[in-house]
Amino acid sequence: MDAKLLNPFIQAAVEVLEAEVSATVSRKEISMQNSSLTSDDITVLINLIGDVYGVVMYGMSTKTCMNLISKIMGQEFTELNSLAQSGVAELGNVISGRATIKFSEAGYISNISTPTVLKGSGIEISTLGFSRIVVPLDTQFGVLTVHIALREKNSGDLPVPDALVSLINAPLSPKGS
Amino acid sequence: MNVKFLNPFVDAAHDILSLETHQPVQRGELRLEAGAYQTDDATVIISLVGAVDGTVFYSMSKEVAVGLASVLMGEKFESLDRLAQSGIAELGNVITGQASMKLAAAGFESNISTPSLILGKGASISTLEFPRLIVPLVTYIGPMTIHLALREGLQPNLKTPQLGIPKVDLLNR
Repeated sequence: MDAKLLNPFIQAAVEVLEAEVSATVSRKEISMQNSSLTSDDITVLINLIGDVYGVVMYGMSTKTCMNLISKIMGQEFTELNSLAQSGVAELGNVISGRATIKFSEAGYISNISTPTVLKGSGIEISTLGFSRIVVPLDTQFGVLTVHIALREKNSGDLPVPDALVSLINAPLSPKGS
Repeated sequence: MNVKFLNPFVDAAHDILSLETHQPVQRGELRLEAGAYQTDDATVIISLVGAVDGTVFYSMSKEVAVGLASVLMGEKFESLDRLAQSGIAELGNVITGQASMKLAAAGFESNISTPSLILGKGASISTLEFPRLIVPLVTYIGPMTIHLALREGLQPNLKTPQLGIPKVDLLNR
């Protein structure tokens, strides 16, 4: 996956966390993974469709989620009720939406899907052929891990090797000549 | 949920499953659910964006997933390994792709996302304020359930480039 697809998400996540919950964000070590993701307590899943496509997931522990939501909504939450769920989904939505604005400024037009909230740790989420970049963001409320499995449209087309091109272009000669 | 979005999915799933399994497919009773969905062993998640917005889940047990993957890919799988996983995801992709073509023909043009696959029973997945229409389908291999959490989109004139819609014959390789 290309780094230019990564930075808009990291920037957007940091900006939103700073603006919404006045978080001090520090980025922990980024890793690249090909295996499926083993979910944290709460995962918000959003798909991108368009010039940049794939899936982005925001994972966090229940404690981090409660801290963030309580701060965003301005009231104390102790369980992931439907209001808290829509709060955490909205957080994913705002970060992803902001990232797609950054993509569009760079000339890539994408749309984001409605968010899906997955609750339950230890579940495997496979992005199939997409490798995933994992960006843990540490804040005073806990760690928010952003999983980015995106592709640029048509980037999957492999360049045709020169040897093959010359073979294709070579004139057909009768057998045995 | 808008019921006119239902039939394209039921038709597409029915056509593709009966074509692939070479056996008739039964439809169970439809119902509407508002709460979170408790996952089965394997769940394919695909989103739609455009004139129709929302998420579709295809859920099944591990046995059914392995059985369907074996039929689709033409080789016997013992477990839900990576290849079998991609077979199941592709099944969701093909059904959703064909349903979205039917929706487009009815005037609702949407794009579909890449599939994600969730493995593990008992997690809860919330589609927030979208209620889910549940369509149980029974193949000779076992039951598969489609969950539709869709509504009319906020971007009716969306014109992003279309992702290629996969062809059914690709599954028969």
